[in-house]
Formats: sequence, C-alpha cells, structure tokens
Amino acid sequence: MGSLAFESQTLSSETMAIDREEDIVHVRKRARMLAQARGFDAFACAALTTAASELARNVWVHGGGGQATLEELSDGNRFGIRMVFRDQGPGIADLERALQGGYSTARSLGLGLSGTRRLVEDFAIDTRPGEGTRVTITKWTRF
Amino acid sequence: MARLGFDERELQSRRAIFELHDEDLQRLTAIRAIAERHMAEVVDGFYALLLGHPGTRRFLTDDAQVARLKRTQSAYFLQLFDGRCDLPYVENRIRVGAVHERIGLAPKWYIAAYRRYLALLLERVVLDIPDRAEALAAYQSLKKIVAFDMSIAIDTYIAANLESLGRHQAAIRELSTPVIRVHERLLLLPLVGAIDSQRAQQVMEMVLVRVIEEKARAIIIDIAGVPVVDTKVADHLLKTTAAVKLIGAQTILTGISAQVARTIVQLGVDISSMHTLARLSEGIELGLELVGKRIAPKEPS
Repeated sequence: MGSLAFESQTLSSETMAIDREEDIVHVRKRARMLAQARGFDAFACAALTTAASELARNVWVHGGGGQATLEELSDGNRFGIRMVFRDQGPGIADLERALQGGYSTARSLGLGLSGTRRLVEDFAIDTRPGEGTRVTITKWTRF
Repeated sequence: MARLGFDERELQSRRAIFELHDEDLQRLTAIRAIAERHMAEVVDGFYALLLGHPGTRRFLTDDAQVARLKRTQSAYFLQLFDGRCDLPYVENRIRVGAVHERIGLAPKWYIAAYRRYLALLLERVVLDIPDRAEALAAYQSLKKIVAFDMSIAIDTYIAANLESLGRHQAAIRELSTPVIRVHERLLLLPLVGAIDSQRAQQVMEMVLVRVIEEKARAIIIDIAGVPVVDTKVADHLLKTTAAVKLIGAQTILTGISAQVARTIVQLGVDISSMHTLARLSEGIELGLELVGKRIAPKEPS
C-alpha cells in the first residue's frame, strides 16, 4: 500500500500463426491497429509495427514458422502493447553476436534483433539450441 | 482435368473416401430399369425446384432452354445407374461443375439441388424397389455416388477460384513495379504496398532491365506508399542500389516520412550509399541535375 503504481494488467490477448510470408504482414497490421487504437503516437506506431515486422520475419525465416501473441496492457496510467514471438526452430547459436548487430546467418543486414531492441522499451530473448526462440517485447504509451 | 490433378490414383483414393465400391455400382445397375421408369418424374421435380427460386430461375431463360437442360439432366440421371465410375465419368462431372461455376451458380444451389435430387430419388425410385433391404442398400449406394459427384463439383469451383486469384495476382505483380521515364536517362519507381521477397526480387530485376533499356543515369525510388520499412526492405533497397551502381546509375530514395527516418536510424541501417530526400519533387530536381538538366522558370515575355 502507499504506492501509486499499479500492477500491469492484461486487457486482451490474441495469438496469430506465422506459417507463411503473408502472415508477417497480418501480424504487423494487427500490431499497428492495436497501437493506434490505444493512442500511441505516429513514431511509436512506426516503431512497434517495424519491430513486429522484424520479429515475425525472424520466426518465418529462421524459426521455420511459429506464433505471435499480441497483448494489450495497462498499468493504470499508460497503455502498453506486449508481443511474444515463438518458434521451434534451431535457436540462436551466438546470441551475443546476434544482439550486437551486423551479423547475419541469412546474408542480410543482420540488424533485425539489435535494431528491434532499440525500437522498444522492454526486450527479452530466450533461445535454446535445437529447441527454439522466444522474444518478448513491450512498448508503452508516453505519459 | 490436369487442373484438378485428377488421375487414376486420385480417383481410387476418392472412391475409397466415399466408400464407393464396385458393389455399389453393381447395385445401381441392378435398379436401372426401375430408375428409367421414373426418370421423367425425377427430372421434372428437380426443375420444379430450380424454377421455384429466383436464385436459380434467373439462369433459366426460356422453355426451349429448360427442355434442353432436362435432356442433359436425363442423361446424367441414367449415368448414375450405368455402373461406371472411371476417369471419363469424372471428366464429365468436372465439365458440369465448370459450366455451373462459369455461369455464376453459387455452390449452395448446387448442394441444395443435390439434396432435392436425393429426395426425389428416394420417393420415386428407391421406394419402388420391392425388397426393403435391397432398397435401403441401393439408397446408400446412391448417396455415395451423389456425394462423390458433389465433391468434384465443389473442387471445380475452388480450382476455378484459385485460378482467377492467380490471374489477379499476376496482374497486380505486373502493375506493382511501374518504372516510369521522367526525362531522358531519368527513371522513377513509385513503390506502393508491402514488399515481400518475391516482389523485392521483381523490383530489382525490373529496375536493372529498365536502367539498361533507357541508358538511365539515375533512378528515383519513392517509398511514400510503403507502410513499413524494416531491415529487410532496407536490405532490398541497398542491394538494388548496389546493382544499379554496377551498371553505371545512381539511386535516389524519396518519400521518407519522419517516422520512417527515425525508425531506420534506430534500426542502425546505413543507407548512405543512396541519395535520400524527403520529397519526390526534390528527388526529381536532383535527378535532373545528375543528367545535366534543371527546371528553370519561364522567361518573362
């Protein structure tokens, strides 16, 4: 008691499959819709949509498909969007290098993970070789 | 035929799904004489249903046409009791499905019509078979072949829809990379919509072909209509720029919104190999400069 901060509360949760390339577009469109509806400004919307695009693509390209769970949060003062991306792919062998950026196993820019990390407030990754990867990101509306 | 991938193997597997065995076909052949006796009633009853609903009546324009269709229907009716369910039979069913799809008859009518057909067969033909056990068995066999036919008709609808979807996609793909000649040796590609891997490849190829064709010195790529510029899209743009550079031209990227600019920087993407500008008009000015031209105000007369 005595604290003004509320526990963050989940307002909604939905899970989408990422099995085809088109699903990347579906996931990021949904992310943009939720962010706009919860009053995120244009920069935050762009950041969240881009982050969704990056991580959904990772699930499709590196994980061989998986799921995205999109949640709307509230901590009493602000709204938040949390997105969890899961795959049962090979996992990331050298996580430190992948998070540094400029390292790619797919002959691309290799900035997906490191870049996405800078687009959101909270970024957590859990990867196990041979078992898969789970990335959780959260972005909050500004006060 | 090829469109549905219907071959002997598919035929056998589908007959197995519907449990449509040779005994069923034989049972139907055995009641052919009774069926023939009631053919006119079944066909007339069937067309009474079709003429009774606006949804199907609109396809039946005059008496001559109805009479012709009734003859086709009679032929189909007899085929059910021919004891044959082979590739020519299936081919025939596919043709019938395709005709109905083409005239725009919705599948619900197809299924409803088959329901009525079965009811008529039960009332007129099956109940006329003296032995009750035999009648029941014959009815089961009839249901199998009718369901089998229906499955082919529905597949035909789906195949036709997929085909038209494929045609639309091809058309959109063709329209989605319009490389426009702005001026001598200056090209413009306005990109609109999501850029997936297939489209990215097509953009690259189209740009290279057109740059060579037009002996272009510069190409403006406007991304104002691209909803999300993530590292993949940036990567495609950078690769296209590198390839364009190899054939002696420069790339000017325009239509970058404030949000996209900030996102690209946050992602850590280095796009310094391209000329970048916020507005398309500025891109055109720069492009003209690169080909040795400029826009000048009209001389006062």
